Amino acid sequence: MSNAPIPSVVDERIKTRSRFREAMIRPELGGIVGTIAVFTFFLLFAFDSGMFNSQGIMNWSIVSAQFMIIAVGACLLMIAGEFDLSVGSMIGFAGMLIAIFSVTMGWPVWMAILVTFAICIAIGGLNGFIVVRTGLPSFIVTLAFLFILRGFAIFLPQQIERKTIIGGIKDVAEGDWLAAVFGGKILGGMFNWLGDAGLIATFERGTRKGQPVVDGIPMLIIWAIILVILGHVLLTKTRFGNWIFAAGGDAEAARNSGVPVNKVKVSMFMFTAFCACVFATCQVMEFGSAGSDRGLLKEFEAIIAVVIGGALLTGGYGSVLGAALGALIFGVVQQGLFFAGVESSLFRVFLGVILLFAVILNTYIRRIITGER
Amino acid sequence: MNPEHAPIIQMKNIEKHFGSVIALAGVSLDVFPGECHCLLGDNGAGKSTFIKTMSGVHQPTKGEILFEGHPMHFADPRDAISAGIATVHQHLAMIPLMSVSRNFFMGNEPVKKVGPLNFFDHDYANQVTMDEMSKMGINLRGPDQAVGTLSGGERQTVAIARAVHFGAKVLILDEPTSALGVRQTANVLATVAKVRKQGIAVVFITHNVRHAMAVGDRFTVLNRGQTLGTAQRGQITPEELQDLMAGGQELVALEGSLGGTV
Amino acid sequence: MTSLMKKLVLASAVAAAPLMAATSAYADGEKYILVSHAPDSDSWWNTIKNGIALAGEQMGVDVEYRNPPTGDLADMARIIEQAAASGPNGIITTLADYDVLSGPIKAAVDSGVDVIIMNTGTPDQAREVGALMYVGQPEYDAGLAAGVRAKGDGVGSFLCVNHYIVQPSSQERCQGFADGLGIELGDQMIDAGQDPAEIKNRVLAYLSANPDTDAVLTLGPTSADPTLLALEENGMAGDIYFGTFDLGGEIVKGIKSGVIQWGIDQQPFLQAYLPVVVMTNYHRYGVLPGNNINSGPGFVTADGLTKIEEYAGEYR
Repeated sequence: MSNAPIPSVVDERIKTRSRFREAMIRPELGGIVGTIAVFTFFLLFAFDSGMFNSQGIMNWSIVSAQFMIIAVGACLLMIAGEFDLSVGSMIGFAGMLIAIFSVTMGWPVWMAILVTFAICIAIGGLNGFIVVRTGLPSFIVTLAFLFILRGFAIFLPQQIERKTIIGGIKDVAEGDWLAAVFGGKILGGMFNWLGDAGLIATFERGTRKGQPVVDGIPMLIIWAIILVILGHVLLTKTRFGNWIFAAGGDAEAARNSGVPVNKVKVSMFMFTAFCACVFATCQVMEFGSAGSDRGLLKEFEAIIAVVIGGALLTGGYGSVLGAALGALIFGVVQQGLFFAGVESSLFRVFLGVILLFAVILNTYIRRIITGER
Repeated sequence: MNPEHAPIIQMKNIEKHFGSVIALAGVSLDVFPGECHCLLGDNGAGKSTFIKTMSGVHQPTKGEILFEGHPMHFADPRDAISAGIATVHQHLAMIPLMSVSRNFFMGNEPVKKVGPLNFFDHDYANQVTMDEMSKMGINLRGPDQAVGTLSGGERQTVAIARAVHFGAKVLILDEPTSALGVRQTANVLATVAKVRKQGIAVVFITHNVRHAMAVGDRFTVLNRGQTLGTAQRGQITPEELQDLMAGGQELVALEGSLGGTV
Repeated sequence: MTSLMKKLVLASAVAAAPLMAATSAYADGEKYILVSHAPDSDSWWNTIKNGIALAGEQMGVDVEYRNPPTGDLADMARIIEQAAASGPNGIITTLADYDVLSGPIKAAVDSGVDVIIMNTGTPDQAREVGALMYVGQPEYDAGLAAGVRAKGDGVGSFLCVNHYIVQPSSQERCQGFADGLGIELGDQMIDAGQDPAEIKNRVLAYLSANPDTDAVLTLGPTSADPTLLALEENGMAGDIYFGTFDLGGEIVKGIKSGVIQWGIDQQPFLQAYLPVVVMTNYHRYGVLPGNNINSGPGFVTADGLTKIEEYAGEYR
């Protein structure tokens, strides 16, 4: 047994890899390849269909941004090793709370929004608390909340207003500072200028004749971008991000190393609830009404986007940027198939095909990175 | 072994009862800085109970633990870790999906301040990881290489290097070689030898006499919750150790029938 | 890397193959898009799909049917925006929730796309959003007419089996019926859900808890078919007064055998077929009927069921 430092011999079994390959092989690769493929495809087959005019771009951008908002939460939670199936119900429930507080009870809209956020985050925390305390699979616990929250979203408005859609939020939200943060639009001036310059289409008739068909970037998209950046920085650049990976990779090993696993998981449940609440608030402020059926199946759409983006369903591995690209792919495909003139009932077929290919590709990439067999 | 050193840990007459089962019936052991103290014993001899007592997982029913000469009462593993007693488990040490550098600093992430915000200092973490790994003779492709791509022996080495980096004075290795091949075992044993040279006390748990003989300075054998004595290197032959572990003469007979291959 | 690239190329080729086949089937002529609020699971809308397909074929125009898969009206708003962005000649859409849908519809109208409101909504709302006309059956009025008719037949209490509780127009039908009878709706409306077995069991449970119920009102085949089974099981079939909205294969059989007194036919075929015909003629020759078109309500009873039987579920 020699104590001299072992000379750095290159292990002949490790194939040398080119720098290009090094740079390519990363968790987001599946999402990047998918995004390029999807855009190439639609540019070829749907270029003249209106998909790439200002209205069309805004349309799939908004849909993708919606997916992104909930995908960021679902992504971080999935990396931390848990699921939240109550996201869709939470969207319906949160929207209904805002409507009840502001329209029925007459609170100022900013207060209705803040209280709703507090309630939703508390419910997210409760979800997480039950999961870490009982050790039950989060799948089951949040499935219970899927029913509970959806039930309340139907029951409350029925009891209070005798209907399942509460409208009139636009009127009460007029001039409210916080409502504008969720439902407003920015850069209106730029779009007006673009419209005047003839770069984007304008309305041909009606009260808005001459105005551009796209009159600003909705705050929904701004929220999506902020949440994606925030999630990405949190996950990759902070010590808390390391804890998220560790909690999902192997909770026991993480605990042995002093990572507060339970705290990490509970706070990720709360963050997921926060994202669902952002989604709901943007939707309610844009449409001016809350409905009991809002957000149906959105939890699965979030999970699909995250999985297309390369995250591992069992936790410990994934990327927020990947999830954002997954959301973009999902949104562009969903809306784009229509522009391409494909029979709409085939949408699910394509979704299934894309999901399958994404998972196969991502698994292949992940095995290269992590050495799983 | 240097007689001028005082023992860093003294375990005196440790007893541990689980209900009516007596797992440890008065075990005493000293560990000196810079020595590799091998703890041998067959399955069920009480090795794991003993090291769990040492690392704060269990509290002894009777007996005393002196750490650097002072009596210590570890309430939980955290106390033991902060005192400088680190345990490297055979499993549960590393997260295969995460990079070596993220694993290395898991739970002890270095932080860099940017304005009011704290960020994970990846540059520092990567630098330290690469340095520590090359000290241990492991060549990484890069600090972001996932632990899953390392061999079992390399993972043990990363775990040992991590414990040493974060100031372990006593390193408890729980069967680090039991699941490894010949070459990887040699690597881990080389790591143990390096660590010992830095003045860290190593408690090496194994039931493989040859692995123990390769690195051990002293050997303590446990059988049915009792010590059968501590022997210095050179005072005992592998055959005698083997017999002590098996607890007597029956193995000699068995060994004879197997042609001396055990 | 090369093997990875190969796999990717292969994968995208396989994924793209069915799409190319689908895009090639494109016709010239005007393009109309019908947007509904119905989830995929609602079989009643099959008649609508057949209706626009037939109209498209006869008029030589391109037609497309779109709906939010889960019935989420916020998703429907996106679909209307998208339909407008794709630049069709006209959009035919339901107006299931004025708050959510009026914005996108107005924007479509303002950007030069003609709109006809069908099925749900009211003539007033249709005028409000700038649509050409409304084709359909005003829901509250239809419920009210049915209620008045049932009152004449001696009904004093009823069960409304609502299989689509989150859709306001479903409630308007029940409310109209109650008002027609001159009674409070109260707890007589149940949230039956969409699953046939659940609907059946809830109807059974309600009727065994309230055996004095005079009448059952169902809101379409989704709730009527399981309700028929429930009534057969508890022996109330033919005894309890049974009215239903909309038609379907089982409902027609029920009317024929006397278990169902009447079905309110809003003639969905016309709601899909007429807007396409009206818009095509408007765009080709500039002619437009002066009024809204009421496709219903029409009460279908045991007399004269032959045609309905023949085409139930397809065009009726």
